[in-house]
Amino acid sequence: MAAVPAASATPARPAGARPRPPYGRFRRSPLASVALHLTLIAASLAAVFPVAWLILTSIKPRNAWQSTTVELFTDPTLDNYVQVLTETSFLRWLANSLIVAALTTVIAVVIAASTGYAVSRFRFPGYRSIMWMLLVTQMFPVAILIVPIYNLMAGLGLINQLPGLVIAYLTSAVPFCAWMMKGYFDSVPVSIDEAGRLDGLTPFGTFWRLILPLSKPGLAVAAFYAFITAWAEVAYATAFMTGDDKYTLAVGLAQFVGQHKAEWGLLTASAVLIAVPAAVVFLLVQRHLVTGLTAGATKS
Amino acid sequence: MRRVLTAAAAAALALAISACGGDQGSGTAAPASSPVDPASVSGTVTWWDTSDATTEAPAFKELVAEFEAKYPKIKVNYVNVPFADAQNKFKTAAQAGSGAPDVLRTEVGWVAEFASLGYLAPLDGTPAVDKPEDFLPAPAAAGKYDGKTYAVPQVTDTLGLLYNKKLLKEAGYDEPPATFDELKQVALDVKKKTGVEGLALNVDSYFLLPFIYGEGGDLLDVANKKITVASPQSTAGVKIVEDLITSGAAAKPSIQDSYTNVQTAFKEGKVAMIFNGPWSNADNLSGKVFKDDPDNYGIAPVPAGSVKAGSPTGGHTYAIYAGSPNLQASYLFVQFMASAESQAKIAGKLGLLPARASAYELPAAAENDMIAKWKAPMEKAVDRPWIPEGGQLFQPLLESYQKLANGQATAEQVTQETAQAYQGLLKGWSL
Amino acid sequence: MTTELADGAAAAVTRGRGRATAGSRPPGRLRRSLQTHWYAWAMCAPVVIVTTVLVGYPLLRGVYLSLTDATEANMGRTIGMNVIPATYEFVGLRNYADILTSAEFASRLGWTVVWTVVCVACHFGLGLGLAMLLNRPMRLRALYRVLLVLPWAVPSFVSAFIWRYLLNGEYGVVNAMLRAAGLPGIAWLDDPFWAKISVIVVNVWLGVPFMMLALLGGLQAIPRELHEAAEVDGASPWQRFRHITLPGLRPVSSTVILLGTIWTFNQFPVIFLVTRGGPGGSTEILVTYAYQLAFEGIRDYAGSAAWGMVILALLVVLASVYRRALHRQGEVW
Repeated sequence: MAAVPAASATPARPAGARPRPPYGRFRRSPLASVALHLTLIAASLAAVFPVAWLILTSIKPRNAWQSTTVELFTDPTLDNYVQVLTETSFLRWLANSLIVAALTTVIAVVIAASTGYAVSRFRFPGYRSIMWMLLVTQMFPVAILIVPIYNLMAGLGLINQLPGLVIAYLTSAVPFCAWMMKGYFDSVPVSIDEAGRLDGLTPFGTFWRLILPLSKPGLAVAAFYAFITAWAEVAYATAFMTGDDKYTLAVGLAQFVGQHKAEWGLLTASAVLIAVPAAVVFLLVQRHLVTGLTAGATKS
Repeated sequence: MRRVLTAAAAAALALAISACGGDQGSGTAAPASSPVDPASVSGTVTWWDTSDATTEAPAFKELVAEFEAKYPKIKVNYVNVPFADAQNKFKTAAQAGSGAPDVLRTEVGWVAEFASLGYLAPLDGTPAVDKPEDFLPAPAAAGKYDGKTYAVPQVTDTLGLLYNKKLLKEAGYDEPPATFDELKQVALDVKKKTGVEGLALNVDSYFLLPFIYGEGGDLLDVANKKITVASPQSTAGVKIVEDLITSGAAAKPSIQDSYTNVQTAFKEGKVAMIFNGPWSNADNLSGKVFKDDPDNYGIAPVPAGSVKAGSPTGGHTYAIYAGSPNLQASYLFVQFMASAESQAKIAGKLGLLPARASAYELPAAAENDMIAKWKAPMEKAVDRPWIPEGGQLFQPLLESYQKLANGQATAEQVTQETAQAYQGLLKGWSL
Repeated sequence: MTTELADGAAAAVTRGRGRATAGSRPPGRLRRSLQTHWYAWAMCAPVVIVTTVLVGYPLLRGVYLSLTDATEANMGRTIGMNVIPATYEFVGLRNYADILTSAEFASRLGWTVVWTVVCVACHFGLGLGLAMLLNRPMRLRALYRVLLVLPWAVPSFVSAFIWRYLLNGEYGVVNAMLRAAGLPGIAWLDDPFWAKISVIVVNVWLGVPFMMLALLGGLQAIPRELHEAAEVDGASPWQRFRHITLPGLRPVSSTVILLGTIWTFNQFPVIFLVTRGGPGGSTEILVTYAYQLAFEGIRDYAGSAAWGMVILALLVVLASVYRRALHRQGEVW
């Protein structure tokens, strides 16, 4: 798979047929240019089409999704949006999602930051165990913990409570944030720590006064991931949240298109309301997101 | 009709008396032995309603408002929960002890399960059970478990054959098919003459039951603790479905979003016949081909097989969560919602069939012609097993039915697989 | 106070934790070690405590449940006037034996592996291809980049809903377009084979942008001189790709492939929201299956917990493989 686009962009030619200009500066033949652009246009269409169709469906009349023909526009209207905002609990679900995701993020980052630093800088008895713990717990699938957590929370009266959901999310958000921040701290030069030490700072002082301020981008990226993971979580929210007033968006939206119900008009409108702001933010920060996630890997 | 209903009422009365008799000695902690003045009760009742949020919920909300007007000290927190999720959500919440409603609208098949798990409050002797002799026998029986009443009937229903009269006429039929053979023929003729599909099947276990009943089969034989889903009769019923699909009489069934795709096709006039119950009246009548022409909407009993015509008894009841902190208010709420007047109002507005004999006589119910039209299908209703595992019987059958619909399993395989799954579910039952 | 850091920093280079010295410490080693390392321990404490409480305790409880026959019916509880005693029992390894010998396990595991491998391979392959296309000067590059990243920007549950609608056999636009082109529609979500293809397509659609961006970052980090030198030496494009690009990407690709594998293995929303594991359970992966056991039908808590432990064992194997890969890259722990 990997070789296919690569080959189409640099058409194979017999070795040594013609001396080529240095890498990166050569001019593509018009044919290669067309092929390149066609490939990218096709890929872009595939990427954009579902979202575009979502938006188009959302501004059709409520039952227009039932059409079996392809129509871009049928009587554009904002009825679906009006209905979603006035007759459903959409805003409530949005607020719940924001609260849960924000709480998860803040708590996870606060708890994880110092650990990320410690495992980045120190070697100490227990280091190996902690690294193992961080690695394994962040890959815990929901299936491992959901039953015992459900039973424990049932005992504590935390089912159908937003804090209960936050606790469930912390199980993966904390190790994930610690792991990511370790990667970022690894890319901060050790010489800064040494400078702090020379100034008489304690390790914690160094971390707090010097490293943390320098690591804001790394923290932001870890926070962002924790946020979107919690924001888009489905399993815990579906299993634990039983009341309409406690649903997060993922659970709430599923109500529109249940087994006996197909309100695709409402679903698409609310999906647009969620996805558009999310996408704008995402596109603004995406560059940092990737560098943040692979920081540990790219520095070497 | 009156004759049937009187008989029904008499049977219900007998049942209720025997149930009460059994209850005397069992020493339950039924909390309402001392009468409470209804006017002094206050509190908040959270009610999970599983009716259709768009077409049915408004009528129930009106009733709730009337209740609140009658009991100003009680507030009702109305929550609409999709029917498909309610069973699981209630179990999650009921076991956890938090997030459960005070009152739940349960499908008749869930009551025994919830009651056996200790999630429901026994209602005998409480204000919730009001004039029990008036309830129709089948829904009343579904509300009982182990001799005690755990749920109060709200509506009763069954499956019928719903058809688009115009399309059938175009194909040359004035009457809907009365047997499975006719069903196949009519479907094929509709397809040939009108170009739209003749029959659409909803790939769901419940909708398989008329075929199994029609050939004399059933899922279980409760009296003898026998699993009968793989009996020759049941298998013959599933074979009819297999034949409808493979012969092209039924449209290629969709599996994901099966129910809604079938409904949509019917409402848009893209299929002439479907199986569904009275709960879909309001939805169907909102469709393109029925909205301006309600007479086009035909309702008939399910077609008969070689043995009989039979369709599953369905319906809904009101049950009260055992852990509810507002039991007194909940009893009053259930009493009000299940009263003959309330049931008649719902019947009048939505065409849902009351579970009380006397409600049929009230003018509010009589003015909706759906009630009369569903009378014939109701006469074919067959009782389902009211056992704790009753709510779990559909999932294994569904998975096998999905394979049948894909052409990946034969009728024999479907029933064999299901019987195997039932053996794991029902300890101590024989095949 | 300042020596710990030096010790720590130096230790990072000179020894991989205390393994080398563990046996040869003089007496009073605990106190000495406390003196040296208490900062590190204190800084790790929050995560360790939180993880122990939130993960460790439930995990132990999960292990215990998996050794019993606990279901919804026999877990003790008191609800209002109803008191139900706990009657579940210890059954040893029976649940595990049941799982490992069931046909269900083999088929679920098989499909989960296929699902994970195919998805990650497509993610990586398409992501790398697109990254290489974008990693060259051209017009409209920024625009392409934004458009191609879009699927990642949409929350995954929203995407799952969108696709369920697009792929609806009757009313989905994909089949509508096929029909408009004179082709028969495909039972995307109704046929076991096509349902598998569908969920893979959805997940690939979701996951390619992340891979593409990560690998684009990696490509840009490869010094251009390497390529130029190779070209002067007469290396073909394929040779340059094979011997410069791929090795240069290794640090990034090992990270993203690991992440991709974990994410895909645990990809609950796509399966759950697009097909619900259907038709006939054919698209159920391990994670959704364990969920279904615990929260649908009769709630088999013991069985679900046992499935969870089996999945955990698989993941630990995966983690060991990854750690070995890190080891080769020089990360020592």
